[in-house]
Amino acid sequence: MTDAVTHTGSGNGLLQLVPKAEAKQSMKDFKSDQEVRWCPGCGDYAILAAVQGFMPELGLAKENIVFVSGIGCSSRFPYYMNTYGMHSIHGRAPAIATGLATSRRDLSVWVVTGDGDALSIGGNHLIHALRRNVNLKILLFNNRIYGLTKGQYSPTSEVGKITKSTPMGSLDAPFNPVSLAIGAEASFVARTIDSDRKHLTDTLRQAADHPGTALIEIYQNCNIFNDGAFDALKDKQQAQETLIHLEHGQPIRFGTDRTRGVLRNQATGDLEVVTVTAHNEADILVHDAHSTSPTTAFALSRLADPDTLHHTPIGVFRNIQRPVYDTAMADQLDTAVDQKGKGDLAALLAGTDTWTVES
Amino acid sequence: MAYVIALPCVDVKDKACVGECPVDCIYEGPRKMYIHPDECVDCGACEPVCPMEAIFYEDAVPDEWDGYRTTDREVFAEVGSPAGAESAGPLPTDHPVVAGAPVREQG
Repeated sequence: MTDAVTHTGSGNGLLQLVPKAEAKQSMKDFKSDQEVRWCPGCGDYAILAAVQGFMPELGLAKENIVFVSGIGCSSRFPYYMNTYGMHSIHGRAPAIATGLATSRRDLSVWVVTGDGDALSIGGNHLIHALRRNVNLKILLFNNRIYGLTKGQYSPTSEVGKITKSTPMGSLDAPFNPVSLAIGAEASFVARTIDSDRKHLTDTLRQAADHPGTALIEIYQNCNIFNDGAFDALKDKQQAQETLIHLEHGQPIRFGTDRTRGVLRNQATGDLEVVTVTAHNEADILVHDAHSTSPTTAFALSRLADPDTLHHTPIGVFRNIQRPVYDTAMADQLDTAVDQKGKGDLAALLAGTDTWTVES
Repeated sequence: MAYVIALPCVDVKDKACVGECPVDCIYEGPRKMYIHPDECVDCGACEPVCPMEAIFYEDAVPDEWDGYRTTDREVFAEVGSPAGAESAGPLPTDHPVVAGAPVREQG
């Protein structure tokens, strides 16, 4: 199989390998006939609506789209998408999706997971998918709680959080999924919020356009077991001062009248939030999602206070082009066939390297 | 499909639903609250909190209030999608079905 698609500049050329829909699609086309079973008011509904609303934009044949999930509330997602899907093994969605994406390059493969599924039992699978840069789009619903099991602390729960399994407060330092993904060599890392349909849709669009693994952390409200976890970012008054919108090529400024900004401390190299003045305005950091170095993206991911969520950046932290695993594997298979001829699986399995165990 | 608000809301507008809606899609009209059909994500949080039991899924509106099956959808036909009731503010007019409803006696 020769891969005619090459990557120059931006855009997911790999999408050309996926067959297009024959007719124009609408949101309705992506709704399944299954009754949606999340708690009334769950943030998952908003994410589902945003994804169903976005998919027609891609214009791909529904039969060539797959949603793979693990275990958890978010992992019920594939039932509600009128595409192919798999409600798979706890934490293993990235592994199963890796197999699909590499062996069936005519598929658009999406992973839906949560903070428990992706960062507890599935931590290993997630980081290895990210470092390999498999052509997957991973939606990580982060509600900072175990919802399906009725309210135990998760790997993203804040220190001191009182839950059923931490009656005197959590002792664990939480994971920051964006920091973790950048540390795991992810080529595309973004964060968005369930209730901001426009921002969520725009983030999905950029992820779909990225060749390789795209990780989107979605702050998602669990209104039963961790209600209001992200209210500081949703309340219109508060959000002015707490939320930082990252836009590539734009100075990182926020707050009422954009009077606050992010500045690099020349002595330490770290980032800090300052009040913008005539004196420092020219030095306010300009966001560069395409920087080859992950250093500044990582520093941005550490900006938020994990307890108050003050200074939380949303948007695309990092978006770089690097070799995609699927493409490299297809090329290697082509090379192997060129050099050694078509293989014989039965002969390989029967093998010559056998031995007898004698008692 | 989405949730809709029927006659029992008219002239009451308790607004308990507004606090429950995770996507801020319940808008205030002069006499009734309206759910934006494209912004609603079908989560159902509003339905059980309504003290008037005025909220129904679109295809489950009781026959006696059949006219309210489409009021919410139609009232936004001209308004479009403001993406958030809080920042959009109240709607200027009611749907004709609502405007023509008998005035509810106080108390």
